[in-house]
This record gives sequence, structure tokens and C-alpha cells, in this order.
Amino acid sequence: MLQTNVAASCAAIPLPDPFLFRIRDVVYQVAGIFQSDERITFLEDRCLRRMKALSLRSLAEYFDCLTMRADRDAEIRNLLNEITVGETCFFRYPAQLEALRKVILPAIIEAKGKLSFTRLRVWSAGCSTGEEPYTLSIFFQELQQSLLRGWTVEVLATDLNERSLERARRGVYTDYALRNVTPDVHQKYFVPVENGQFQVSEAIRSRVQFNRLNLLDDSRVIFMKGLDLVFCCNVMIYFDGSAKRKVVQHFHSNLLPNGYLFLGHSESLFGYSNDFRLVHFPETTAYLKPSGLR
Amino acid sequence: MEALPTVPSILRPLISFLDEPVDRVDVDQLTELIASDNSIAAQCLRMANSPLYGRRRAVDSIRGAVIALGLARLREILISCVLVRLLPSQKWKINPTVFWEHSFGCAMMARQFALRTGYPHTDKAYLAGLLHDLGIIANSVVFPEEFQEVLQHAAEKEVPLHEEEGRQLGIDHAESGALLAGQWRFPEEICEVIRLHHDVQQARVNPPLTAIVCLSDQLCRMRGLGYGYYESRLVDFFKDPAWAVVTKEHPQAHGLDMARFTFEMDDYIREIRSMVSAVFR
Repeated sequence: MLQTNVAASCAAIPLPDPFLFRIRDVVYQVAGIFQSDERITFLEDRCLRRMKALSLRSLAEYFDCLTMRADRDAEIRNLLNEITVGETCFFRYPAQLEALRKVILPAIIEAKGKLSFTRLRVWSAGCSTGEEPYTLSIFFQELQQSLLRGWTVEVLATDLNERSLERARRGVYTDYALRNVTPDVHQKYFVPVENGQFQVSEAIRSRVQFNRLNLLDDSRVIFMKGLDLVFCCNVMIYFDGSAKRKVVQHFHSNLLPNGYLFLGHSESLFGYSNDFRLVHFPETTAYLKPSGLR
Repeated sequence: MEALPTVPSILRPLISFLDEPVDRVDVDQLTELIASDNSIAAQCLRMANSPLYGRRRAVDSIRGAVIALGLARLREILISCVLVRLLPSQKWKINPTVFWEHSFGCAMMARQFALRTGYPHTDKAYLAGLLHDLGIIANSVVFPEEFQEVLQHAAEKEVPLHEEEGRQLGIDHAESGALLAGQWRFPEEICEVIRLHHDVQQARVNPPLTAIVCLSDQLCRMRGLGYGYYESRLVDFFKDPAWAVVTKEHPQAHGLDMARFTFEMDDYIREIRSMVSAVFR
């Protein structure tokens, strides 16, 4: 009796389709972005959307589509677009900013200060419509009276897409993009404009330099020199293996020793770089470019 | 150390159950041992029914739990229940939820680290992870006022707890935990983990075990299952002496995708939180 009960209760547990986990592994292998168990139903939902578009009936068929068909790379891109769509907003990764404020900036300020350098260079690579570089600009502005007193901070922001850059330069956003902004910051740095939208204040906008740049364009990327920090969130997931390797190598030479590369929340460089080292801060990770002295 | 509870009679047979390979444990003997104590049996069932152990339908007897969960899981649940009851939380200066989330988190992660790095004694890793911070309770009970201050200062300065304990009490939770574990006659390697999880290089009895717990402890603290406050620091696992110890004994660890491992552990952490809140409600 007891055993029957146990068997019945096991049968009642709805297990996710095993192909879903295989799709998760493919997405991680190809794009380096991990879908946690918490997001597995989200992943399923996004797969179902693609299956509908392709008139497929099972995850097994869709798995084949992602792995065996000639156009599999295009389909992975489609799926990634579904996974990352609408993700960007202001103050998206507070733990990254906290690590900067508490651990990274004090160390950089001390090291550079000893050499009488008082300039910080930060790059938002693949800045899309500008939420990330403006977040950084606000963040540094807020520290200008304390930690960064007397320091000059340059925020460079690049993207491949000219239309995104145009929107970024205008700096006009809906409430939804500002959902993580505290009332205090909202009041200080956002000005109401038409249609219930808000524009980033002039002081914050003027601090960010926007430029069009293809991360695979070697001849131009090499000019991004002397950087302390690079932010590249949910961008590299779209590159294939060799392109990813190349971009990571560029970031490495763009950064100063002891500089950091930040990726999106569940992105990983595993297998793509031996030069960077994964390090942990509370609730976030980053890739460190170790100094020559080890 | 006199202020501390004496070891209950059920604990020592349990520890020896845990120290043995699963296939050598006598199931009847174990279920009898559990059933002999009503409140432990009840708490065991509550844990067995938590989502952490994957149950969606109620398990309503100890035997049912053995069948549904397997002996290995049940042993873990059992030792956890005994510990939780053993240490009356009214006297604690640290929030018991925070403490147990950290301890269970570390246990779970130590097992996963063991599995992925090729360390064979995964059950031992779990037990060692669960017990590694015993000294926090010892300090909390033996120096109630001072320890409260230590916690407060550590939180304000955002520094690791053991550093602040060393400065203010002259004894950190690793040392006091080891004293207590010795008094309770825990196995030698567990005592070593407790004593040296912040100083792995000194380990002699079972260095990889101590190293695995050290890494798990730090990963927990970096993923929000620490002592309930922000620690302002960078953890560079690959430069940690504990990492060198693990990879030396288990070269397979070099292939560990630490980023993915971290993301996967976040899923466990969510489950641990819900389990701890279900059990200690």
C-alpha cells in the first residue's frame, strides 16, 4: 500500500520535458548564457513561441532545429532574441554597482592615486538604447562628491545599430525602463517630457560619448585604450565561438591591468578566455585582467 | 564551554550512521532510532516534504521517507533535525534562519563541489558543510554580549566574521567550534574542517574535505547566504589556497566551469531558503 502511494505521488510530479534541459545546454554552449531552473518555464515559453512560428509540435523537433538543421545558427539567434527581449532597463544589475562602489573603485583609486592619475575610463560595449551607460553616468555622478572627488570619469558607449544609438542620444524613456530607479535619483536626473516620458538630464547625457562601433572591427576596436572597466551585457551571446574569442581578446588588451570586464547576469566566458579570471563579489561576478605580477 | 548543551544520546549513533557508506546502514535500525523520538520524527517528515527534496505529495511515515527519498537523503535530514533541536535558538545572538540557511547552503554546495570535482565522499562533504560553523553557536552562547557586538561590528565594517571575532574575542568560531566538536567526540576529519575552514593550508587529516568546505562557505557568502550582511570583498577562487588543495588531489577540478556552477547553485539557494522557512516557521 505504502509503495503504491509513493509510486502514485511520484507519477503526479510534472517533470519538465528533458529536451528543455538539452536546449538549455545548447543555449549555454553556443551563447554562454545560462537559464536557471527558476527560468526554465520562461525558456519553455520562449521555445513554444518559436515552435509556433515554425509550426513544430514538440520540443524534440525544435531541439533538432537548433542542432541539426543547416540554418541552426539563425534559429539560435531567433531564440536568443526571444530570451533577451525587453530585458534592458536602468539600474538593471545593482550588485555590479555595489561591487564597484565598495570594492573595485576604492582599489583603483588607491592604485592610480599613488601615481597621481585621477582619470577613470569606462566603456559600455553594445550599449543598445543607452540605459546602461546612463546608469553608469548617474552612478559616477552620485560619487563625485565623495569617493570620486577630484576625479574625471569618461563613459564611452558604443553600439553597432545606428537607430539604437539615435534613441540613446535622445535619452527619452518610458516609466517601464525606469522601474528600478529610486525616487531620489528619478527626481534629480530625469526631466518629464511629452507622452508621460522622461529625458535623462543634460548633465548626465553630456558625460556619455556615444559612437557607432562594430566589436569585430579590429582596426577601430584597438583604439579603445586605457580602460578601467568594460561592461558588455547580453552582447557576446550573439557571437559565434571565434568571434567571441576575438572580442574577448580585444577587451583584454583594451583594459588596464587589474581592470574588470562585466557581463550580463547569467553570462559566462568559460572556454573562451584564459587571460581573464572569474572573480566573485557579493551577488555578482566579473572577469579580472590580472596584472603582470602574479 | 560548560554553558553549552551536552551531547544528546541520539547524536553519536547518528554521526556513525553518517560516516558509513549507505549500503552498510541497517534501515530498520535507523528508522527505529528516528521513531524513538517523536518530535525529531515529526520534524524529519516536515523536511522530507519540503520542495528541496523534491516531494510534491506528502510523505507521512519515516519508512515512507526512506523509500521515497533514499537512505542518503534521509540521513541528512535526520542529522539536521537533531542539530536544530539540540541548539535552542532563544539564546542565539545570530538570527537562526540566517545561520541555518548558511549551514544548509554550505552543506548542499559542498556536496555539489564534491560531485563535480571528483571528491568521492559526497555524504561526508555534506555533513562537514553542515557542521562547519558550529563555533558560531558556541560563541553566541558562551559570550552572548560580546558576540552580539562582534556581529554588529563585522556588519558595520563589512568584514568576514572570523576576523572580527579574532580581534574582539581572541577566539574565532573555528577554534571554539573545534573545542566543542572535540568535546562531543566528532570524527577527526569533521573536527579538522571546523577548526581549519578558514586556514586550509594547515589541514593534515583530510585536506580536500576541508578545502571543499572552505570554498563552499565562501561561495555561499558571495551568493547571499552568508551571515546576513554585505561583505565588502572580492573572492578569487582560483587563487585561493583551498582551490590549490582540491585541484592537487583531484585534477578533474581544473575542468570545472565555475561560472555555470555558480548560476546552478543559485537555484539550490532558492530551494534552501524555502526549506528553512518551512521547517523553522
